[in-house]
Amino acid sequence: MDDAVHKPADDRPESEDARQARDQVAAQPTQWPARSAGGDEVPPPAVLGELRERFPDVPFVEQTTADGIPTAWIPAERSVEVLAYLGREAAEPFAMLYDLGGVDERERLHREGQPDAAFSVFYHLVSYGRNADVRLKVALPEAEPSVDSVAGVWPAADWYERELWDMFGVGVGGHPHLHRLLMPPWWEGHPLRKEHPSRGTEYGPFDLPDQLADEMQEQLRFKPEEWGLPRSEDDPTLMYLNIGPQHGATHGPFRVIVGLRDEEIVHLIPDIGYHHRGSEKMAERQSWHTYIPYTDRVDYLGGVTNNLPYVLTVEKLCGIEVPDRAQLIRVLLCECYRIASHLVFYGTYAQDIGALSPVFYMFEDREILFDEVIEPITGGRMHPNWFRIGGVAEDLPEGWKQRVLDFCDYLPPRLDEYDKLVMDNRIVKARMVGVSPISADEAVAWGLTGPMLRAAGLPWDWRKQRPYSHYDWFDFDIPVGTTGDCYDRAAVHVEEMRQSLRIIRQVADAMPDGPYKAFHPLATPPMKEPHTMHDIESLITHFLGVTWGPVVPPGEASIYTEGTKGQYSYYAISDGSNSAYRVKIRTASFPHLQVLPRLVTGYEIADLVTVLGSIDFVMADVDR
Amino acid sequence: MLDVQGMPPGDGDVPVVTSSLERLVAWGRKNSLWPFGFGLSCCFVEMATSLTARYDIARYGAEVLRISPREADVMIVAGTVFKKMAPVVVQLHQQMMEPRWVISMGSCANSGGMFDTYSVVQGVDSFLPVDVYVQGCPPPPTSLMEGLLLLQAQVSIEKRPLSWVVGDQGVIKPRGISLRDLRHDDVAATDKLRPPDEL
Repeated sequence: MDDAVHKPADDRPESEDARQARDQVAAQPTQWPARSAGGDEVPPPAVLGELRERFPDVPFVEQTTADGIPTAWIPAERSVEVLAYLGREAAEPFAMLYDLGGVDERERLHREGQPDAAFSVFYHLVSYGRNADVRLKVALPEAEPSVDSVAGVWPAADWYERELWDMFGVGVGGHPHLHRLLMPPWWEGHPLRKEHPSRGTEYGPFDLPDQLADEMQEQLRFKPEEWGLPRSEDDPTLMYLNIGPQHGATHGPFRVIVGLRDEEIVHLIPDIGYHHRGSEKMAERQSWHTYIPYTDRVDYLGGVTNNLPYVLTVEKLCGIEVPDRAQLIRVLLCECYRIASHLVFYGTYAQDIGALSPVFYMFEDREILFDEVIEPITGGRMHPNWFRIGGVAEDLPEGWKQRVLDFCDYLPPRLDEYDKLVMDNRIVKARMVGVSPISADEAVAWGLTGPMLRAAGLPWDWRKQRPYSHYDWFDFDIPVGTTGDCYDRAAVHVEEMRQSLRIIRQVADAMPDGPYKAFHPLATPPMKEPHTMHDIESLITHFLGVTWGPVVPPGEASIYTEGTKGQYSYYAISDGSNSAYRVKIRTASFPHLQVLPRLVTGYEIADLVTVLGSIDFVMADVDR
Repeated sequence: MLDVQGMPPGDGDVPVVTSSLERLVAWGRKNSLWPFGFGLSCCFVEMATSLTARYDIARYGAEVLRISPREADVMIVAGTVFKKMAPVVVQLHQQMMEPRWVISMGSCANSGGMFDTYSVVQGVDSFLPVDVYVQGCPPPPTSLMEGLLLLQAQVSIEKRPLSWVVGDQGVIKPRGISLRDLRHDDVAATDKLRPPDEL
């Protein structure tokens, strides 16, 4: 953006308000940053040099991305070899497969320096030892695109690869069960390919005669032989029990088939996709700005905590520096929603294992939080859609601070009481302690994050390890468990609420004055002050930002945040348009639910509900 | 106006209420609408909230959440209806005993709402008979309770056969009540809204 066009013409009379606002902008150290979309200020990443040294014969093609994550293209035939080295052999290995997904590259215009590809598959790996990431990409042809499975390196790859097949039709060699994951078995086409219809209304009126419904039910019926399991007719002591997709303990439409011997779970096949809303396809249609409400509904208990990784990513692509006040308002609201979400977890978990009264207390606390803090500030309850590209929707209302501090005083005694009611309860302990523990190493290999990972003993919190939005300004502790069993998972959630209250109190005290949104032409909707009403170029920019939405410079970024349930990110690819070319939503619940067979096999059927409750998943977060 | 109480007007001094059997049965039905514990998405959380202390839907006799469809009277379709889920929803609805009603809760169930996507059914009324639509994304618990009151008002004047051997066997449902019409005058008279910059 040219600096000159945003300066008011000298010969125009300037109002006092506009002058004050302009002085305020001048005081901001980081307005109108000149920044290219590539992360060229980042030093050459060590990990790619390491790879070149280890595999001298593999042609790596480096790509610079806006987020600065080392990114390289590797040939499909060598991909497993390279990935296995990173995941297993390397010193401080990249033990977590953070994300895996596809991109339909066929209509992408800005691919400078990237190998030719009709489709690409990206592997986003994280090393906790190095606190570093690497993103490797594989280019694939249009005809029969296929990669080899990496499920042998990371068990978490299983569902990601099935999703890859389901959404893009990219084959995965060596995958044991390459069935559809999210779409129903009768579905035609692969939804995230560009030629696939996006709208439901493109399909015409929906009609479901009884006969068709019966046929669909038949296709959904569990057939053990498809999973390499014995039929119960052949094995009289084995019984298959279908739970869901509508069941009181599944927290939404989720189906799981358990193979039982007496009461012991010997097989467990989760079936998801009953809550697939097509949020990723939606991103390719909505403008960058009007996609924000869809993020609210991904982890629908998390409210604005979903907005945060998305807007951070878009801001990174645009090069927007967000003012301190906006950052702290975001932290304030995120921590409020963390508490709201954990209160729902706490109450429903107690209810799942038979304690009926706690949920009434905890929902009442949630109501007080909504009524006294969240709704007065944002105007919404569950889905306030309140963060904006470059800041937040509005400034805090007068009198917010007292409301927030009152809540900080109100909740701790209630939490102490719930400790007696739930966590110290003998029956609760008998149901939770020692049930389905998981070690930290295994948790990392399965891609678990957030409370699930911390319960397993790894004190890893992205708010601490890679502070964003000024989380490093605040003192708080990271609660950890020891065994990673159900009790630890619940205890970590409970303690996190206390830590969130600590953060909220500090935010309330530290809240600086200043603008609530960046003075940047791509902040949406753009701030009117100081230039919009004074020169025509700024007015045009403003008008376009409001109507068409911002045009984000071409590039790729993914910024992650510590959400309510774990690690969240939106891997966004911009092709220089007013909507995203591709957005891959990485949610916490998806890997958390995938690990279910590992967690409950060998336990009894009653423990299934205990473990499901401890996972704290939301089906919209799993299926997106 | 909408008679949400539905109880035949009686004199407090005389402990006798006269009514037709039909009205008495309808009165009993409307005050014990047991919802099916059925939820799909975000709306389900708000539906569950309506059961808790602050809202207490028990005040309207609808707190007995039934986990089995066979024991439930009203199916609250709380959330997005997915194409993969649609045959399951149909089966669950068929498993409910007559008389049964359907409340479509939230924009997704009403019309697909903001999710005009390939995997979402654009309105549950394309395959289920919906009695009441509740607007919102998600509707707050108070909206759901308002929807329940609307359903009660309809149930109280609905004509159903008392038995399979008595009288006409058809079900005569009243015309749906339009909240928009009911509220029109109040909304039109509103000319001041609270400013958002102070509490």
